[in-house]
Amino acid sequence: MTVAARKIKKPLYAVIAACWLAAPFFLGNYQLDVLNNIAIYALLGLSLNIILGYAGMFHMGHGAFFAVGAYTTAVINTTWGVPVLWLLPLSGVAAGLFALVVAKPIIHLRGDYLLIVTIGMVEIVRIALVNNVFGITGGSNGIFGIDAPSLFGRTISGIVAPGDYFYLVTAFLAFTITVFYLLEHSRFGRALQFLNQDPVAAEGSGIDTARYRLAAFGIGAFWAGMVGNLYASKITFISPESFSFWESVVMFMIVILGGAGSIPGVLLGAFLIIGLPELFQGLQQYRLLLFGIVLVAMMIFRPQGILPPAPRSYGVAEDDGENGGQNSAQDGASGGEVRP
Amino acid sequence: MKKILLLLVAASLFWAGPVFSSDTIRIGLMCPLTGSWASEGQDMRRIVELLADEINEQGGILGKTVEVVVADDGGDPRTAATAAQRLVQRDVVGVIGTYGSSITEASQNIYAATGTLQIANGSTSVRLSEKGLPYFFRTCPRDDEQGRVAVETMLADGHDKIAILHDSTTYARGLADEARALIDASAAEVVFFDALTPGEQDYTTILTQIRGNNPDVVFFTGYYPEAGMLLRQKLEMGLDTPFIGGDANNNPDLVKIAGARAGAGFRFLSPPVPGDLPSPEAKAFLDAYNEAYGQAPGSIWAVLAGDGFRVLAKAIEETGSTDTDTIADYLKNGLSEFPGLTGTIDFDDKGDRIGDVYRVYEVDDEGRFVLQM
Repeated sequence: MTVAARKIKKPLYAVIAACWLAAPFFLGNYQLDVLNNIAIYALLGLSLNIILGYAGMFHMGHGAFFAVGAYTTAVINTTWGVPVLWLLPLSGVAAGLFALVVAKPIIHLRGDYLLIVTIGMVEIVRIALVNNVFGITGGSNGIFGIDAPSLFGRTISGIVAPGDYFYLVTAFLAFTITVFYLLEHSRFGRALQFLNQDPVAAEGSGIDTARYRLAAFGIGAFWAGMVGNLYASKITFISPESFSFWESVVMFMIVILGGAGSIPGVLLGAFLIIGLPELFQGLQQYRLLLFGIVLVAMMIFRPQGILPPAPRSYGVAEDDGENGGQNSAQDGASGGEVRP
Repeated sequence: MKKILLLLVAASLFWAGPVFSSDTIRIGLMCPLTGSWASEGQDMRRIVELLADEINEQGGILGKTVEVVVADDGGDPRTAATAAQRLVQRDVVGVIGTYGSSITEASQNIYAATGTLQIANGSTSVRLSEKGLPYFFRTCPRDDEQGRVAVETMLADGHDKIAILHDSTTYARGLADEARALIDASAAEVVFFDALTPGEQDYTTILTQIRGNNPDVVFFTGYYPEAGMLLRQKLEMGLDTPFIGGDANNNPDLVKIAGARAGAGFRFLSPPVPGDLPSPEAKAFLDAYNEAYGQAPGSIWAVLAGDGFRVLAKAIEETGSTDTDTIADYLKNGLSEFPGLTGTIDFDDKGDRIGDVYRVYEVDDEGRFVLQM
């Protein structure tokens, strides 16, 4: 990365963030609803990024954790009337526990084998929901009448006032980006990236790879569960169709297309994958055709994703940012870990 | 950077605001143009656009041109919610659609909150009209209507020992429960009530159990693949109890699985297929559709979208208004025996269609589905 590109990066991010925050003053409800969807999928992409991006595990069943969170919220809220925002952590915990239980036996699987098992998992969850498991999921009819979130006595309805909801989801997105940025640069984040690059070397360096992988699943699922809570309270109605295998594929695409392991990449991926089909609405039934063509073209010209993670750089001397960045690309990331 | 600029240009096109004009009446159509129900959605769009063109050729509604604003719901609740926001923002008078019940449900609250009229065409779930939403209507029957027609048909044939077989899916179970309650309230009795496991190859066990209970008729509420297997194995076993099925059996593959000999005499309930639509309006419409697209519309649900459009146009014409409350009031209280494409149309206070839509079909000796009444 050139110095010029790095210099332009920070102002660019600031401009994008400012535009994003100002959006409700200029846009109608429809456009805001699209932005809300983009934010929700950005959150899902970020949570999947922990598993798929950092730890490099091919996981195409993320919709299952999303569903567990959403259904936890829906069932508890409609049965006992607990306010939905209180259920935010609980939905995350439910999804996280579910992930730990199902991921434990499959965590040692590699690459495409894991992919197949996770596809099976998301289908099992969907079918269980359709079959009204435990008699609480409402079967194929789903659950309706979920409350909108309310904060300080003010109801934030994603239906009536997408602008209000926009700030709720943006706040959560900002929180998530901060946490995940810190995570990426923490010992834990570096360990995940290390075991992604070279599991044997990571194991040899004292990283309990199985435990770290499982933890990645747990955190990713915990976050997806919380997003499920936000989604359920936005749309106020959930049914198994909302958690089809396709949803998991969409999340997978967001991460891979944007740039696995890169937070800005995932955000851009969400913008493209969720935003583009809406841009093409005028084309009606051909919109997904064009969308597919765009995806294929992007994969041909940028197989590493649009914004892949920049190589890690560690300043050796005060004034030498660039050289260090060039040389210590991968070793830098792992080197930081093995040093006692 | 160039790419980012390009994206910004594309994005600015997308944000371009709606253009308002006062000499058109906008009617929204929310339909699944993509996704697994795309064929239904395409049909819905063709039908509604055809009818709108007809109206425009005759001078429009109240002297204004009708513009159909189409939004793709993708057969998916999230996309449907966005589509609903899009239509509301385009300032439509009312919205026609959509097909799937849960898809409709995801959009219902948005239309209710914004005071937009909605006329669904294929959403049969009972719950949709039980919420007391003032602007929700549908031209299709409800699931409980089917149970009623099935039980009436069986009782009219003089059967009084009835077996009910379902497959544990929500739809089939619901229909079975509905039928059982109605039979219990009548003079007849339910002698057998159980589920089979869908997707198996051998149903002789459950058929033997049914035979042991000696029913006059068996009502199967599941889907056509199992119905086909049941009919074939019933013939092989020499069981001659008549079977009657729900509307999930309206599929030509039924006869392919059962074989023409086993299929003959099987009856099922279904809204009439478009070719059997009874009214003169339907004839004229089918001819026009054939001329425009060179084929007949595939399913009844899409034609019901056409009916939704026609009643909405009629209501605007009659009331001389595009106000949601006025139109909703007219549809509930003013509209009477409107000659729809699928029979006469009236709405009750919940916005459900009054009147019989379900018909009985019988499979003939050559495996064709013949309308009975």
